[in-house]
Amino acid sequence: MRLWLSAILLAMLACVGLAAHSAEKQKPVINPPPTAKDWAELAKLPDWSGVWNPKITDQDAQVKTNMPPWNSKAAELVKWQLAEERAGRPPPLFVNCLPEGMPAWMLVTHNSMEVLFTPGRVTLLGESDGNRLRRIYTDGRPHPADPDPTFHGHSIGKWDGNALVVDTIGVVPQAYVAVSEAAGVPNNGDMHITERFYLADKDILHVDLEITAPKVMIKPWKTTRIFFRQRARLYDVVEGVCLEGYFKPGVDKDGYAIYIPVPHDVGGNRVPPK
Amino acid sequence: MKSSLTKVAALSTLLGLAAATYPVAAHHSTTMFDREKTLPLVGTVKELHWTNPHVAIFIDNSAGQGAAPGLWVIELTSPGNLVRSGWTRTIVKPGDKVTADIHPLRDGTKGGALRKITLTDTGQSYTYNIRDQERPNLEQDYGK
Repeated sequence: MRLWLSAILLAMLACVGLAAHSAEKQKPVINPPPTAKDWAELAKLPDWSGVWNPKITDQDAQVKTNMPPWNSKAAELVKWQLAEERAGRPPPLFVNCLPEGMPAWMLVTHNSMEVLFTPGRVTLLGESDGNRLRRIYTDGRPHPADPDPTFHGHSIGKWDGNALVVDTIGVVPQAYVAVSEAAGVPNNGDMHITERFYLADKDILHVDLEITAPKVMIKPWKTTRIFFRQRARLYDVVEGVCLEGYFKPGVDKDGYAIYIPVPHDVGGNRVPPK
Repeated sequence: MKSSLTKVAALSTLLGLAAATYPVAAHHSTTMFDREKTLPLVGTVKELHWTNPHVAIFIDNSAGQGAAPGLWVIELTSPGNLVRSGWTRTIVKPGDKVTADIHPLRDGTKGGALRKITLTDTGQSYTYNIRDQERPNLEQDYGK
């Protein structure tokens, strides 16, 4: 009888323990509201306001001078892509208006971006893809243990003096490590990217990237990408909805403004009239 | 505003002539266009698609010589990149008579990349070259 009682008591204790554990697990992590001090702290950060455009000629140059250490299979693909591009048949990488994603945005974009600081976060807003966006958490959080893969991955950052150091994982395996708009290889998973953003000059932003993509590269690849600043309003970032190009503005039979599909190929190029 | 735009356009034209013009699309390589070849289209603008990722101008090449007669689609860069080169969405309109120098598609179909477009009525030319704008504070150039 005593044995039975002990067994029931133990079972009850186990249930209580499990319930407590489960409640603990589900307890949401609260992002605290920013304080006046948090906002004031932002004033100590370097001035990255304005609009940043990529130095495309340097992107072009690095195709020749700083090729990623591809594994042999990837190297073969890139060699073919570059030959096709030279022959006037550029293979389309960024098709159907899917985002360039990471790290291709930083590596090969031709469009502008801006950088926003808010407490606990740095946000990059870009002009293409359908308005590209990176959220970089600077509130001290770690990466999730198993983040849902996304085009831009999960990014956490910390300030090292006037440099922002960013760590990114959780990028979809389909996202390209691209060296140009016509040459690149899907990262195939397990990619890890570290970046260091800093002003190399008053109006020049450098991003030092180190990309580890073990499925397609034999060792980590380092590259620096250059952005230059404009402050004139003429250069403000504008909306960039990629899918727009698959349509033209029109009017339906009832007089409502609509978008009418236009013929295009997989790369998004309009098909020439016959 | 108008005079500053004219200045921008003039500057863009100047820069475009000074350096080889590379109409660069926002999202794909452009080597399908043959930059060794320039064809003139002379005719009327039928449609302007001021849309991302690439603006397009449809030109009826009715009076051109050296390029097949009929409707051509001419690709440019993104609206954002064009605005930064001094364009607006109203400088070229359907109905405008134009001359356009284009780099044609290699496959012989009626498509091309814009090198320069000139409005017949005003003589005003527009071009762009985003690789020629790779320095900060470009607004400082506009007063010069």
